[in-house]
Amino acid sequence: MSATGIVSPRLRMPGPVRARRRTGRGLSWALVALVALLTLLAIFARLLAPYDPVQPIGALSLPPGSPDHLLGTDSIGRDLLSRTLYGIQVSWFAALVVVVSGLVIGGIIGTLAGVAGGFIDNLLMRFTDLFLALPGTLVAIAIVAALGYNLQNTLIGIGVVWWPYYARIIRGEVKALASRPHVEAARLAGAGPARIVFRHVLPGVIPTAIVTASLDIGNVVLLLAGLSFLGLGQPAPAPELGADTARNLGQLLTEPWIPLIPGLAVLLLSLVANLGGDGVRTLIGGRR
Amino acid sequence: MTRFLLRRLGSAVVLILILSAVIFLLQSVSTADPVKAYLGANASPAAVAAARQSLGLDDPLPVRYVDFLTNLVQGDLGVSYRTHRPVVTDLQAFLPATMELVLWSFVIAVLLGGLFAVSGALRWRGSSIFRGPLLVLATAPPFLLALGGIVLFYAQLHILPANGRGPGETGPTGFLLIDTLVAGDPAGFASAAQHLLLPAVVLAIAPAIAIGRIMRSSLTNTLGADYVRTAESKGLTPFRVLGRHVVRNSLGPGLSMAGLQLGFMFAGVVVVEQIFSWPGIGNYLAASIPTSDFPAIAAVTLVLGTIYIVANALVDVLQAVADPRLSA
Repeated sequence: MSATGIVSPRLRMPGPVRARRRTGRGLSWALVALVALLTLLAIFARLLAPYDPVQPIGALSLPPGSPDHLLGTDSIGRDLLSRTLYGIQVSWFAALVVVVSGLVIGGIIGTLAGVAGGFIDNLLMRFTDLFLALPGTLVAIAIVAALGYNLQNTLIGIGVVWWPYYARIIRGEVKALASRPHVEAARLAGAGPARIVFRHVLPGVIPTAIVTASLDIGNVVLLLAGLSFLGLGQPAPAPELGADTARNLGQLLTEPWIPLIPGLAVLLLSLVANLGGDGVRTLIGGRR
Repeated sequence: MTRFLLRRLGSAVVLILILSAVIFLLQSVSTADPVKAYLGANASPAAVAAARQSLGLDDPLPVRYVDFLTNLVQGDLGVSYRTHRPVVTDLQAFLPATMELVLWSFVIAVLLGGLFAVSGALRWRGSSIFRGPLLVLATAPPFLLALGGIVLFYAQLHILPANGRGPGETGPTGFLLIDTLVAGDPAGFASAAQHLLLPAVVLAIAPAIAIGRIMRSSLTNTLGADYVRTAESKGLTPFRVLGRHVVRNSLGPGLSMAGLQLGFMFAGVVVVEQIFSWPGIGNYLAASIPTSDFPAIAAVTLVLGTIYIVANALVDVLQAVADPRLSA
């Protein structure tokens, strides 16, 4: 496997392309605040939801803007605002779990490879390239199909294919930092490998890692929603954005808000995540 | 160059083998029991044991993997639990529709991405009216775009159909647009094109932005190059400067991204086909998921995954042809 050209399609998001147009710092803080607000919304979804998301509580198929049901109700009378809030909670935290696990697994492998160099580096990066060259989404679908359909297995499936990208980026950063004078100086001063890694190399990697991860959240939100749409998520009555759209496809032409609202919530999550990622990049900088 | 070609194709073969090993391993840990699916849930323990023996399920894993590969090479991907037909038969019926959708969608993605890149890099006045919404659309989940498109163009405006490929007959190529044209069926052709438009555009938007962004930055870099200034100052028309010097030299990154996105689209097609009831293998996969039809899911993963790997290998080779430095 030649390393050339085997690049993750996800390189499209955090690519150097958008670095051209720098957002102002004030605006960047506002964008990051938006992400924080969304996270708060997700944390307190259960408190904010006016009704039980699973129990039918109102008239059937009320349109949005109805007095007691801000976003209306679905065809069996469940409150759409409540379902959407619960769905946002699930989607947002699931995406964070995937990104953090990718960051941790990829971080460990990338750091090991970058620090060890030589044979171990070669071995680990070959392994990483192999994962990058396989079609991640499809492999994730196959994993979930084999293990059984539930949210936990979906997270495992995506987690398995999501780390290699981080491993590559972090290995590159570690390699670049390891040859810098301050690391050389620490080595000459007699610092052990563990001390060098944790005190002198990793702190320098963190900004890039955070920027990369924050720009990636939107991708994961979309992927999770897509798998949920296909039925690879929570089973039936549980509120989940992708699945709620899929289950109500039949109402698209008669009561379009029922399938569209969960989809719009996914758009909101992915939009806020992407804008927030841009903000984080402007504020932290990183190497990109 | 030959060595590079061989090495790259060799690595693609290795990758396909590894993909098949992954699928095989998943099949062996799968919760769906092939024997139960084969005999029905009420089979006696003795019958189950006998079936396990005859299906070779008691053999050691490496032996079973070799069996699996042998079957694969002979075109045997197992029998679908849902349709009770050999999976290969199903795939042959559905693959052409997927290929047609993805290829046209890819063409649209490249055109749209190119327009995005050129209008951005040259700062065409007013073009941000088109780029801004496109950027927002690219962050939307594809299923939302598909549904929005159906509501707008089918339900409200009545100008585009919302499901299937149209009434035209497929012929030898399986590509409806080509077959209706060859058969001299203009009505069928028009209908096929109409049916194709919405799903193809929906599938094209995210890749178009990915391609457009890369191309725009590479165009912007090239526009600032000294030889472009030279070309301008020696009096070439802007059109000539663009065509001869700028676009040619900034195509590389866009090409490689386009290839990657083509592979990517073969995964994204699943959701789009399901919504538009497009009779392709993505729809087949989507229908296989709720019934836990693992042989079908595994086979589609393998076929689409192989296409993905081959597409990426071809892109690498094409790039090396375009820029021989890459094959060194």
